[in-house]
Amino acid sequence: MNLFLIGAVFFLLGGIASVFANEYNKSIIYIIFSAVAAFLTSFVVFSVLITGNSMQTEIQLGEPIGKSLLVLDPLSSFFALIIIAGSFLASVYSAGYMEMYKGETAKLSTYHLFLGLMSTSMIFVVIVQNAILFLISWELMSIASFFLVTFESNKPDVRKAGIYYFTSMQIGVAFLIAGFAWISSLSGSLDFNSFKEAFTNYPALSDFFFALFFIGFGTKAGFVPMHTWLPRAHPAAPTSVSALMSGVMIKTGIYGILRIIFLINEIHPAVAFSVLIVGLITATIGIANAISQNDFKKLLAYSSIENIGIIGLGIGIGLIGKSYGNNLVASFGFLGALLHTFNHFTFKTVLFYGAGVVYSQTHTRNIDKLGGLIKYIPQTSLLFLIAALAISGLPILSGFIGEFFIYSGMIKSFAIGNIGVSIAAIIGISGLAFIGSMAMITFTKLFGLTFLGNTRSDLHSQPNESDMFLTLPMVILTILIFLVGISPFVFVTFIIQVVVLFVPQFSMNYYIEFLSLLNTITISISIFILLIVIIYSIRRLLLRKVKRTEFKTWDCGYQGGTSRMQYTSSSYAQPFMQLIAELVPQKINIQKEKVLFPKEASLYSSSQDISEGFFIQPVISALKKFMNLFSWIQSGRMQQYIIYGLLFLLALLIWILGVEL
Amino acid sequence: MIKTIIVLITILSAPLFIGIINKTKAIWAGRQGASVFQPYFDLIKLLRKGETVSPTTSFVSEIAPSINVAAMIFALLFIPFPFVGSVLKFSGDFVLFAYSLGLAKFFLVIAALDTGSSFEGMGANREVTFSTIVETAFFILLGTLAFITNRTSFESMFAMLNYSSFYTLLIKLLFVISLFIMLLAEGSRLPVDDPNTHLELTMIHEVMILDYSGINLAFMVFASNIKMLLISILIANFLVPLNLGIAVGIALCVLTLILIYLSVGLIESLIARSRMSHIPQFLFLMTALSLTSFAIVAFFIHGVIK
Repeated sequence: MNLFLIGAVFFLLGGIASVFANEYNKSIIYIIFSAVAAFLTSFVVFSVLITGNSMQTEIQLGEPIGKSLLVLDPLSSFFALIIIAGSFLASVYSAGYMEMYKGETAKLSTYHLFLGLMSTSMIFVVIVQNAILFLISWELMSIASFFLVTFESNKPDVRKAGIYYFTSMQIGVAFLIAGFAWISSLSGSLDFNSFKEAFTNYPALSDFFFALFFIGFGTKAGFVPMHTWLPRAHPAAPTSVSALMSGVMIKTGIYGILRIIFLINEIHPAVAFSVLIVGLITATIGIANAISQNDFKKLLAYSSIENIGIIGLGIGIGLIGKSYGNNLVASFGFLGALLHTFNHFTFKTVLFYGAGVVYSQTHTRNIDKLGGLIKYIPQTSLLFLIAALAISGLPILSGFIGEFFIYSGMIKSFAIGNIGVSIAAIIGISGLAFIGSMAMITFTKLFGLTFLGNTRSDLHSQPNESDMFLTLPMVILTILIFLVGISPFVFVTFIIQVVVLFVPQFSMNYYIEFLSLLNTITISISIFILLIVIIYSIRRLLLRKVKRTEFKTWDCGYQGGTSRMQYTSSSYAQPFMQLIAELVPQKINIQKEKVLFPKEASLYSSSQDISEGFFIQPVISALKKFMNLFSWIQSGRMQQYIIYGLLFLLALLIWILGVEL
Repeated sequence: MIKTIIVLITILSAPLFIGIINKTKAIWAGRQGASVFQPYFDLIKLLRKGETVSPTTSFVSEIAPSINVAAMIFALLFIPFPFVGSVLKFSGDFVLFAYSLGLAKFFLVIAALDTGSSFEGMGANREVTFSTIVETAFFILLGTLAFITNRTSFESMFAMLNYSSFYTLLIKLLFVISLFIMLLAEGSRLPVDDPNTHLELTMIHEVMILDYSGINLAFMVFASNIKMLLISILIANFLVPLNLGIAVGIALCVLTLILIYLSVGLIESLIARSRMSHIPQFLFLMTALSLTSFAIVAFFIHGVIK
């Protein structure tokens, strides 16, 4: 355990060390430190995940924290694994990506410092077992990520996005502080273990506590309607940071929710249904908004919201199984949610890294300006395609396995025999299918329009395949995507220990059932791969006998086509957006002069996130109104402020004298 | 062994059924029409022809047809043949079935976008838009099937459907109609899509393979033939009673398949293609029917009213 703690601090040490290094060595020093950190920590994490025995160490701090435990149980280890892997890959990727900012030494120093702080604080978030320590690490994580988001702070948009992000995080934390304060006043201690007893002693309050913590943690994770910071912060941040935030940091919100579920233990069916529905709404709103985006980083941010929703759906199924006493359903649900958490880390990181390569080579995030990149950056395109297939949940790749377990959980929950559960299950099954087909629209659009066809605008310079630092992390993650997809067995054995925490009645029979199911899936997937290879070989054989000629794409006899005539991001999405116009309203603004001979005209279309309009805006404006009641306090007159000071001193004087009397 | 042979025969007979549709249409229009084996001749002709490739395209177009054929054959391994069962089966196998069709569609669509043609972009976005409706309805249908039978794999679900009460018959009928709508949509048939017009603006599937030629075109056509047969066999599973002997059963199954294709041909002869904006309404009928069947199961079979 000490080894683990030393390793965890090494990320921060790397950040500090790179501050003192000269510009060219900064990233290399940070990579070395984070490699050491990953090396030291991963051994411990794997041993916990394999054996299922948790490790702990006690630290003694000053009041009010006092004695406190740092625990590495399977749940913490699982999330620590994602954090360590994500942080290490981020250090490698940054070395390539930050080439763009050559010469800005001070900025690069702060970047590495806060990257280190963020990694270390995320690891501490998942291991501390004390409310105050937890909140401290949680806030450090938010602050570090805030400074990373506002890396390009000279741009007003970035500053605005950063402040929006930070405010959202503080609102979320307010709920957490309220929750922790209340539960610790009931239990009389700040220790997580004491909360467990308090939750059992006050079962009537547990739903309320769950709601409080779900809102707090859900803000970090990005559940609708607390998701609005994601599409703002992700495009603003450097891509290496977006990847770390989307792939890793928002998972700490999922960790928090799972930790609370673990502590509460007795979950009521109503709560389980609510989590399922919130997950479904989150996924639907997330992916529906993703389709209409033209900025590819914003699109990826919305797709993260979708995936958080799918994880929520899995947790919901797990909770339904738990609350109705069907352990098989519960284990399928939790296993699906955890597997999808890991998978989302792998493919979303590849997608963001690929997007980073595109951005660094073309300096635009607008899909409508891109196209045809597969000819310039074939390796990145291939890796991006694999990740896009995986995130759409298609077989052979990892995304399918996670969704398959969530589907299986829902299908098996018919056996519970409760009409409410059955209706929830059919809504879940059809919802997940709907979300899956919308994901297909999103990612055929993203990949097809960015990488295929012809380039839609003049790029300043020809994009080139980038250096090893950018490609290597993507290759590593892509191998993981394939491994999980083809032989999920290995990864499931790691996760089983985590599932056991939530389903204590998990028996050997389930384990055997899982294994035989996974075996059959591996065999089936292998047959699929074999079929693809056979059919493609047949094609190669036949091709030997025939002649291949090259001729431009058939455009119905019209030979004057330009690349601007291709389908664009908005036109590709238009038919579907028309179908769901109520869910994602479109605003189309056409400016055209009405004259006989048409002159230059312009068209501008944008989509609106309804949860923002219907939920966030009214709350904010009501809050503003309320706060305005106190605006007289801040009058801006110096005299008034001096009076405040005097009044305060007077009050202090009275209080002290009063005590003495 | 017998299953593998049946799967092989099924794969090879896929174009024959398309011949049946064309023959039906020809006879209805008062023509003699081409032989039912014409689709085979067309495929062989294509396999021997040279390929014209656009310089805009990449490896995506090169591999997409092979992946499409492979995915269709793979999906066929999960389809239970009446009396024989399926080659591969496990709990929740229909999810893999549906998602491997999804993989084929993904490649079909990005291969269309690969050509950089605006016509193919048009077909691509229509295809993905309509498939959101069909796929959702298909999963409601499968979920209902799992609910009613309390089984989780294709083969065991169909095996359990043997008992017949009034409600089961009603549900079977609803299933058959909604799967038939799926057949028309996914098989790109009238009134959703017109396989015959070569006016690019009116099409969905045909326009996406506009730039293919030679072997790849043959593969794409063959894949879509197998896809139609896949869904037809699913429909036949609902229609063929299971308590007959194997020989009578198989004969009956083939007869049912011929009837299904005949009715597709008749529909194509009798109605025109819908306007693009009316197609979602037609497809939502499938959603409505599958939801109705779920409601019937929930309230009359498993629910309060028995």
